[in-house]
Amino acid sequence: MSHATEDRQHTADQGTTGGYLPGVRDVVVLELKQRLRSRGWYIMLAIWFVLTGLVTWLTWASWNASQAAQRGIPGYVPPPESGPGSMIFEVVLAFVLLFALLVAPALSANAVNGDRAGGTLAILQVTLLQPGQILWGKFFAAWAAALAFLVASTPFLVIGVALGGMTPGHVLVALLMLAVEVGVVCAIGVGISALAGRPLFSIVVTYLAVAGLAVGTLIAFGLGAGLTQGTVLANQAQYRAYEPLNNGPVEPEYTCSGPLQEQMVMRSERVAWLLAMNPYVVVADAIPYKDRSQERSFSSVGAIEGVSQGARSALAGPEGTYPCANGEVKPRYLAQSTPMWPLGLGLQLLVAALLMWLGWRSLRTPAHRLARGTRIA
Amino acid sequence: MAMISELPEAADGPEPDDGITARAVSRSFGAVRAVEHMDFHAPAGKVTALIGPNGAGKTTLLLMLASLLAPDAGSISVGGLDPRRDRAEVRRRLGWMPDTLGVWESLTAREILTQMARFYRLPAQSIGTRVAEMLERVRLDDLADQPARVLSRGQQQRLSLARALIHDPSVLLLDEPASGLDPGSRVELRLMLRQLAGEGKAVVVSSHVLSELDEIADGAVFVNKGRTVRRQTIEEAAAAGRRYAVTASDVAALAARLTELGLAFRREVGRRPSVSLMLASDDDAERLLRDLVLAGVGVNSFAPASGALEETYMSLEGERQ
Repeated sequence: MSHATEDRQHTADQGTTGGYLPGVRDVVVLELKQRLRSRGWYIMLAIWFVLTGLVTWLTWASWNASQAAQRGIPGYVPPPESGPGSMIFEVVLAFVLLFALLVAPALSANAVNGDRAGGTLAILQVTLLQPGQILWGKFFAAWAAALAFLVASTPFLVIGVALGGMTPGHVLVALLMLAVEVGVVCAIGVGISALAGRPLFSIVVTYLAVAGLAVGTLIAFGLGAGLTQGTVLANQAQYRAYEPLNNGPVEPEYTCSGPLQEQMVMRSERVAWLLAMNPYVVVADAIPYKDRSQERSFSSVGAIEGVSQGARSALAGPEGTYPCANGEVKPRYLAQSTPMWPLGLGLQLLVAALLMWLGWRSLRTPAHRLARGTRIA
Repeated sequence: MAMISELPEAADGPEPDDGITARAVSRSFGAVRAVEHMDFHAPAGKVTALIGPNGAGKTTLLLMLASLLAPDAGSISVGGLDPRRDRAEVRRRLGWMPDTLGVWESLTAREILTQMARFYRLPAQSIGTRVAEMLERVRLDDLADQPARVLSRGQQQRLSLARALIHDPSVLLLDEPASGLDPGSRVELRLMLRQLAGEGKAVVVSSHVLSELDEIADGAVFVNKGRTVRRQTIEEAAAAGRRYAVTASDVAALAARLTELGLAFRREVGRRPSVSLMLASDDDAERLLRDLVLAGVGVNSFAPASGALEETYMSLEGERQ
């Protein structure tokens, strides 16, 4: 009987490396079965849904209240195109990204060492599964679990569209970028969990990594910019005398004249890559907004647009933003044609890939080096 | 090589390709040398016991045999294959039951075995029947659709055994399989391991419940402080002599008769006064009992005081001190 089984096994298996993806899928199935049966995940999902709903409602209510107050001012003419849509969309988006960054480590950062602590990792390692299959399986399961949270928040992003000012394309791009950002955090979490001995430690480290991306990049950019003192050649900007805004295009606001002189500036483009790694910058920069360089009036700018423009001007550096650098008039608005998010996302993916690779190394068997204090089983 | 000379039974030439063999393997964790130049061989069709005190390196050796841990030096061969080179083929032949239970608690027994069958890439159409067969074999068929967390420790242990057997391995490595089992389950495990060895598998059992191993093991490898200290078969262990405990209604008369026969014995302190003595073979025991009875000593009990393996184990413990 045993021989018959063995023979069937051999014929069914095409080579030793064949069937890489089915192996990954089997690990994902195993992981998801466990996740879907834990009540905690559903509770978190419910809390998430309620919170996002609450934030959406509060944003909408506060916008209504401010409108009502403005209408009370005598002689106030409401701007023609404004609606709460853009604002709700932006607030909900920022909130969803914040909470996604907070939830993703919890869902991913104990994926490997949690199993190690429970004695179930070695059970997988001793089978025909390859370390890459285990790691990818864990990553996709964590990502899928985190994506459920995005799905739960979709209705509220759609509300932003429904209330005006936004297109379905915005929601689509926003969700796509949120999904990618969550994936990056999950990959970082899974990678760290394969490297660290204890789940608690890896969860804390992953949260710190997320904090590093969300806050640390801003601090590093701010401090780093101070170290980038440099010069740029520029001449004198002559600002136009005040004219009513509707008499012509806003730009150019000034003309350049006189000899080029060295001006002290901060070469912010040298540290702008730090800013680019910020998840908020990546998401905000990827969402399309109107090219306002030809606009006649300053209309109120959304937060997303503001973040994107700020980051892009940092990346452009003084050569692109300092008035009259090289004797040229600089546009107030940087065109959408030079997106910044591929740089930031690329750097994030690099970090995530490095951690995943290190994690993969630590899952190889027969194991040569073990992390201090860890037992393989 | 110096190690081999210390082992009277060690074969010098290349070892047979069947079963599982470790040659002069060493492994250290930082400054701790868990296993040093250990030799081990478990032939196919036999149950081989791996015996040693806690911290002797049993689990480390088993992890290396299970191809999870790489030895710093030395080599391992599973049916003639090197785990480093033929990883997949070796794993197909190995079944490993760890000393930690490690079950996916929210999955049912059936799901766990099905997943394992998939991880071993058994043909999809046969997985259902194979899983049902294994569940029946470890008597978990009534509990097959209960989540693993509601299973008792003994049931989880049996599930763990079924998990190690799902792909019908030719080498079975069991780390403390009897710990936590009730006496009934132990008897069952014993029968099952004999049966598996009967099917031609090489079965390796690490344990320190020695009386148990006497009944199931064909041979034993004793390890201590990361080294193989002795190898013997059960026959050899039995031939090396065994301690017998004798109680009599009149211990003084018993002692007198034993002194008369010129046998060395010692008085045991216990609940009932008794003496114990080493006897070389079963024949010796037979002769002594007949002699005592004929001499009119009222013998209450006359039995081996310890298992054959325990005798060796204790003698090794003695050497250690």
